[in-house]
Amino acid sequence: MTIADVGRDTFDVFGTTAVLLVAATEPAGPAVAGASTGGATGTRAAGTRAAGTRAVTAGIAARARAIADRELAAVDLACSRFRPDSELTALNEAAGGRPRPVSPIFADLLAAALRAARLTGGDVDPTCGRALVGLGYDRDFAEVRAAGDAPARPVGPVGPVPGWQRVHLDLAGRKASLDRGVQIDLGATAKAWAADRCAGKIAAELGRGVLVSLGGDIAVAGPAPADGWRVRVTDDHAAPPEAPGQTVSISSGGLATSSTTVRAWTIGGRPVHHIIDPATGEPVRSCWRTVSVAAGSCVDANTASTAAIIRGPAAIDWLRDIGLPARLVRHDGTVETTAGWPRDDGPGAAA
Amino acid sequence: MPGDDGRRAASQARDSGLHRVSRLTWRAGVASLACSAVIGVALARHSEASAVTTHPQHSTPGQIVIPAKPPQPSGGSGQVNSGAS
Repeated sequence: MTIADVGRDTFDVFGTTAVLLVAATEPAGPAVAGASTGGATGTRAAGTRAAGTRAVTAGIAARARAIADRELAAVDLACSRFRPDSELTALNEAAGGRPRPVSPIFADLLAAALRAARLTGGDVDPTCGRALVGLGYDRDFAEVRAAGDAPARPVGPVGPVPGWQRVHLDLAGRKASLDRGVQIDLGATAKAWAADRCAGKIAAELGRGVLVSLGGDIAVAGPAPADGWRVRVTDDHAAPPEAPGQTVSISSGGLATSSTTVRAWTIGGRPVHHIIDPATGEPVRSCWRTVSVAAGSCVDANTASTAAIIRGPAAIDWLRDIGLPARLVRHDGTVETTAGWPRDDGPGAAA
Repeated sequence: MPGDDGRRAASQARDSGLHRVSRLTWRAGVASLACSAVIGVALARHSEASAVTTHPQHSTPGQIVIPAKPPQPSGGSGQVNSGAS
């Protein structure tokens, strides 16, 4: 299977770029240079196929997009911090009150966030909502960046986040509550969880191999191409092909990258970013600028890459101990790898 | 007649005893119902609180899952980028 056997669709979601790659299962036909399927979804083949096979791929790609649209809309309605009608907004506004009924998808998203917190000893903590608001990240990131150097917002004393133990979820009964003063943000896990969910649903419903990338959080499911899905690992998911980084291939699970360099802005003249150190309630000052991790799922990969940024030098031993392949980039561009991540010595590898 | 008086007195004593037992039974019944209601409300509250403060057991294993195969070296450009957003 070659890249010509892949249907590709690119669209905007969650304030970032999503990419769907769907593998064809039919034998490849003769190439037709410059062919494009187009279509109402904007879907187009990423290469060239014979017309008959290409038409099948376009139909499959359109169905994949429809599944992704359905799932991503549900995730957005459940856990967007910037939508007044989201369940997350309602739960934050009800902090200190009685348990509230929540939807199955919100319960699963919150469970994933609490699991990430538990597995990282609280390094990836969803109770950083108030800290992010204090840094001016209280609306879609495009608006935050466009606002320029905004004055600091008073939200009370800065300090450790309240802690994930103050979030209460009855998963079976589908009820949740927050202790008084707790505000949650599921940004550290929700996008990766959504990528896993989309990939799983598409692969199951279409019987095809699929890669779903949501702003660089990548999940794959179903049969992978023979040489795997080729992923360029770099600081910014929107980087051009010539940007420093490394190309690897994956065939299952997920791959995620966390960085302090991309979702960054200034407030009151101070440069800040979105990865909060739960111990201080401030943007973490890490020795790593970017960490990429491969794991059994995208949400696990993102949990580990975020925790590694927060753990700093100790992340190396932690990742090795649990056997997670990772690529960690220091601010000077030097790279460390763990647990079978391939050597980083090809052209353009310098980070 | 002395015999009739004795039977009447015995009958009155029996009726009086039955009334007393009946009153006690009724009061015990009311008290039991009240206790049941109080205990029921208390248990319901305790049960709700216990459920809500119990953190979830996620369906996936209780550890970060390693990939079936680590990333492999690959040349050229990627089909997608993994980077921060």
